Amino acid sequence: MDVWDAIWAGLSGATSWPAFGLMLLTIPIGLIIGIIPGMGGNMGLALLIPFTFGMEPLSGFAFLLGMHAVVHTGGSIPAILFDTPGTGPNAATCIEGFPMAQKGEAGRALGAALTSSMMGGILGAMFMAIVIPVVRPMVLAFGPPEFFMLAMMGLAFISLMSGSSILKGLMAGGMGLVISFVGMDPQTGVVRYSFGVLDLMDGINIVTIVVGLFAVAEVIDMGIKGGAIAHSKSANIKGSGVLQGVKDCFMNLWLVLRCSVIGNIIGIIPGLGGDAAAFICYGHALQTTRRKDEYGKGCVEGVIATDAAHNSKEGGALIPTLAFGVPGSSGMAILLGAFMILGISPGKEMFTQHLDLVFSMVWILVFANIIAVAICLPLAGTMAKITFLRTSVMIPFILVCGLLGSYLTTSRIGDILITVLFGVIGYGMKKFDYARGPLILGIVLGKIAENALHVSLNLYGLMFVFRPIAFVILLITLATVFFPVYRAHARKKKIEETSK
Amino acid sequence: MGTKSRCPCFVLGVFLLLSFAAPFSATAAPSDIDFFKGKTVTYIVSTKTGGGYDTYGRLIARYLQKYLPGSRVIVKNVPGAGHIIGANTIYQAEPDGLTIGTFNTGLIYSQIIGQEGIQFDLNKFSWIGKANSETRVFVVGAKTPYKTFKEIMDSKAPIKMPSSGVGSEDHNETLILASALPAKFQPIPGYQGKEAEMAILRGEVPAVLGSYTGLSGLIAAKEGRVLMQYGSEHGIPELKSVPHINSIEVTPKGKSLINLVNSIDIIGRLTAAPPGMPAGRLQVLRDAYRKALTDPELIKDAKKYHLDLDPAYGDDVQKLVAEGINQPAENIRTLKNIIKTKE
Repeated sequence: MDVWDAIWAGLSGATSWPAFGLMLLTIPIGLIIGIIPGMGGNMGLALLIPFTFGMEPLSGFAFLLGMHAVVHTGGSIPAILFDTPGTGPNAATCIEGFPMAQKGEAGRALGAALTSSMMGGILGAMFMAIVIPVVRPMVLAFGPPEFFMLAMMGLAFISLMSGSSILKGLMAGGMGLVISFVGMDPQTGVVRYSFGVLDLMDGINIVTIVVGLFAVAEVIDMGIKGGAIAHSKSANIKGSGVLQGVKDCFMNLWLVLRCSVIGNIIGIIPGLGGDAAAFICYGHALQTTRRKDEYGKGCVEGVIATDAAHNSKEGGALIPTLAFGVPGSSGMAILLGAFMILGISPGKEMFTQHLDLVFSMVWILVFANIIAVAICLPLAGTMAKITFLRTSVMIPFILVCGLLGSYLTTSRIGDILITVLFGVIGYGMKKFDYARGPLILGIVLGKIAENALHVSLNLYGLMFVFRPIAFVILLITLATVFFPVYRAHARKKKIEETSK
Repeated sequence: MGTKSRCPCFVLGVFLLLSFAAPFSATAAPSDIDFFKGKTVTYIVSTKTGGGYDTYGRLIARYLQKYLPGSRVIVKNVPGAGHIIGANTIYQAEPDGLTIGTFNTGLIYSQIIGQEGIQFDLNKFSWIGKANSETRVFVVGAKTPYKTFKEIMDSKAPIKMPSSGVGSEDHNETLILASALPAKFQPIPGYQGKEAEMAILRGEVPAVLGSYTGLSGLIAAKEGRVLMQYGSEHGIPELKSVPHINSIEVTPKGKSLINLVNSIDIIGRLTAAPPGMPAGRLQVLRDAYRKALTDPELIKDAKKYHLDLDPAYGDDVQKLVAEGINQPAENIRTLKNIIKTKE
């Protein structure tokens, strides 16, 4: 089938009845699942799959993808308003999103996050369509050595996210790495740092930690300080800045594009995980910005970068699932099961015989992202007003919401205690000016880095460093670490010379 | 007020009556069936939502409810520590028939070597039934030179194979089969879930072990070739020409290890209740399970989900588990030597 024919056949498929109607039905479900902390796309898929029995394959895709595509769009809303990420990858949105809400710019942050996630979703779907011809070599080029180097590159961003003190940032990052080691070590079968608690054998879930570190810590802070989430009343409550947020996205189009491509590529590579995508994009934004001082205090660029990554990676994650019948993530594994129930077996034929179906999926991703944002944007102004409410009203709400999310994620009572513990740690970090981003980065990337290092050494020995792609990533990492040092040194020298 | 104070006495009376009567009857008395009326039965699945155990669990729970009249059967996911937390939870639950559940049969290995965190004894569970026998396969990547399993066994160089981690079922099975055949399998731990299949696609490792259902995508996409099957022999049509492990000649010691691996794989997707259940109530659950698994509607649903069925019930499952666990002392020593975790 000619590619152009397939694109048009895909479009008419995606807009046909009842597929389009079913998609409209599940988009709000996806948004709500995203907004409720602890419920993620996987749970949504597991709940919706029984309804697809007897559906045509196309209708079934539309029904499931409509929901799955927009979960992270919803997940950013509580991240910005309450510092409670709706899903794991939304944790990165908290870093800049909530400080914006504190500055009275919740509306602007919501506008930027929603628009950027829509653009990310669309660009991700388009990128997915573009890479179809080269998908095989691209996916297979990244193995454990490359994962290890990518994780190292991500960890190098700790230096950028450290805020006022590099030393404090490194300490937080180191603590994050140690926390990532909690649980069963696959290399030895020994349980580490579990103190005999069986629930800790699998390690600590990222949502459990983030809810504590951000939401609970914020509740403690609010309880002590009083007032409202938004400290500044100067912001115009009526206009609420939603439009400004939308404009910010268009002004940072180049950043949106870069982060969408990065997010998409990370989605395509199975094994790095969705949580990493948003953080790597945040790090990338920090690295390339001219307004480094504003980061950590509520910079709209940070929100734009992380949210472009969430939805763009969903398009990427579909690729290995469709191309090899091998899902890149647990969510995709559930989706693959659904595909088989619908009577489609993914594999090479997907891109030859069923290309129109693949493009229907691309179109569904595009439409779902647009419609989701069309639903949310008009409500964003109203939602932003919540941040101006008295804290005595907000504290119980945030606390229940956050702890419920922590419980729903793992269904373990013990994890609520862990969340509270991290709440105290988070408050301490905030008070003594330790950036929390490096801690999360250490947790997210620590496990990937350790595992990939062991597997690489087992497979290739130390020579794994010299595999071409791994080596290039290593060089880029070294350059990002040492170039600023060199530049500072050179500048100092120049100043000395001129003063002589 | 009067009824309020009488109520607990009444319940206690019934409870005492039941607990005395129970050991004498192995058939389900009407009172045992009535017990489930208006009650909620919790079916524990030892993994997260989604995936094989969850799908089987939810399907079985739905039909158990149909055959426990007046009851509600809900599924609760208790994931963690490679099914150990779920199995512990079921084992420690009140043995009143209101908590049952499912976990991985590979825990038999974990119990034999005495893995950390185990608070159960598989010999003591009240077994209700099992839904499937697992056919497991040895698959090599499509681009590898291996054409027969003999070439694998003759290989002088180690055959690297992905495993999810030291102590996990796939890791243990790789080591046990390596020693039993013998073959130079070298498990590489650190591949979670579907990463193992990616490793085959990328060509990092030549071969992988796994369940046929789990690897069928890879096989159907012609990215891998099946060279050998083991576990259940109940016959998957696609694997007709693939030799079964039982046809390979091995030493007597190797044979007994292979029998162990096969027997564990045959007890797939089990359902268990806590130890010390009143016999009558256990019988009700076993009857309901049998009716559920033979219900034509369940069989139809299972087909839709692409779930295989090969059920067995009650005492038969109890016997299979006991055979697996109660190995001769020499076998246990060998096993401990093969699969012990690094200190």
